[in-house]
Amino acid sequence: MSLWSASLETGAEVCQRARPWLGTVVSVRVEAGPGLAEPAIEAAFAEVGEIHRRMSFHDPDSELSRLNAAAHRAPQAVSGRLRRVLSAALALARASGGSFDPAVGGDPGASWRDVELGGDGRVRFRRPLRLDLGGIAKGYAVDRAIDGLRRQGIAAAVVNAGGDLRSFGCRHTVWVRDPAEPGCGIPLLETADAAVATSAGYFDENALVEPRTGGSLGVDRSATVCARRAIWADGLTKPVLADPSGSVGLLRRLGARAVLLDCQGGRLYLE
Amino acid sequence: MRRDPVLALWLAPCAALVAGPVAGTTYLTVEQAQAALFPGAQMTAHPVALTPAQVKAIEKASDTRVREKTLKVWSASNGGWFYVDQVIGKHELITYALALDAAGAVRGIEILDYRETYGGEVRDPKWRAQFVGKKVGSPLKLDVDIMNLSGATLSSRNITVGVRRLLATHELVVGKP
Repeated sequence: MSLWSASLETGAEVCQRARPWLGTVVSVRVEAGPGLAEPAIEAAFAEVGEIHRRMSFHDPDSELSRLNAAAHRAPQAVSGRLRRVLSAALALARASGGSFDPAVGGDPGASWRDVELGGDGRVRFRRPLRLDLGGIAKGYAVDRAIDGLRRQGIAAAVVNAGGDLRSFGCRHTVWVRDPAEPGCGIPLLETADAAVATSAGYFDENALVEPRTGGSLGVDRSATVCARRAIWADGLTKPVLADPSGSVGLLRRLGARAVLLDCQGGRLYLE
Repeated sequence: MRRDPVLALWLAPCAALVAGPVAGTTYLTVEQAQAALFPGAQMTAHPVALTPAQVKAIEKASDTRVREKTLKVWSASNGGWFYVDQVIGKHELITYALALDAAGAVRGIEILDYRETYGGEVRDPKWRAQFVGKKVGSPLKLDVDIMNLSGATLSSRNITVGVRRLLATHELVVGKP
């Protein structure tokens, strides 16, 4: 934080905003020359809002909901953004052997394997199912917001979508909750340009479920993944929590690193 | 799909910084939010105290409880309305502003302040004091800024419910011709 305050002396202004999007609170902090910060923040939120409208699982009018209702009957055309997130979700499902699976509901036994992403850009479900991109879309929204801020020449920024955060241009400390005491933060890593996401069940033991077994991934530990892009950090927390040692290869392929924290203060670094 | 490794450094458990309670972040003051949502406008405060009948009507229309009977509402000189409201979750206290246009449609929502509230020891000064001087010469950070917190699981559900309550309030009481 001291670095952010120090930048004020150089004439740049620091501006931060938070708005409800993606079912959570999304906050954006930007450091920029006079008059540049506010329009940049508006543009970042416009992008986050766009992702929300396209990929909301609960809004029946979202592009995702329309896809979920129709794709088992006929191939559906999708937007570039949805295609990008879906293709990342399927890649992660394949690479994690299904411990990350965006397919929910529908036919018993339906899984990501029943989703076809055609070369023509259209999407088809081999049987009725519903896609929930909640485990990855927040990270993508953070990436889009960050990419936009960079393109506008912003010097430094942090975007945090309910705990999926990414920053650039400024060294800062990222904190995580202590699994033994979620009201308390632990300084976990220092970064200048990275994405970080954490998954844990401390507020709701049913929040994280292993898709292959239906069992809870537990309330007593958390998995934090650090990657270049928030979409990977967000998506990788689930496989890491489900199978820490089995996800080392996947982390390496994506240039990501992870740490598991448990209630006793134990740490397991995966890199 | 091999990528370059990410540039980040894990901090050891006994790094220069010590653990501290998660506090929150103040994003905007009421005046800053007014200037952001209604640039250049003159804001006029309207003291409104809801009658029991109005409370009942709002609760019925919005399917939520009305806790605060005194409204914080302003009108903007260029048309529109500005509300400041608070919602309370299991662990969070959120102050937010809602801007409506002259016709009563949502023009913007800004979170002014987000605080985490935990019972018992996190708020207890004696418990907090244990962190002080844990490591001599360390930059003490007692209140963790929510902006730099990974895995916060903040839900916006309470804000959605609050906005629904304010929209009903506006339609039934404040914006009524």
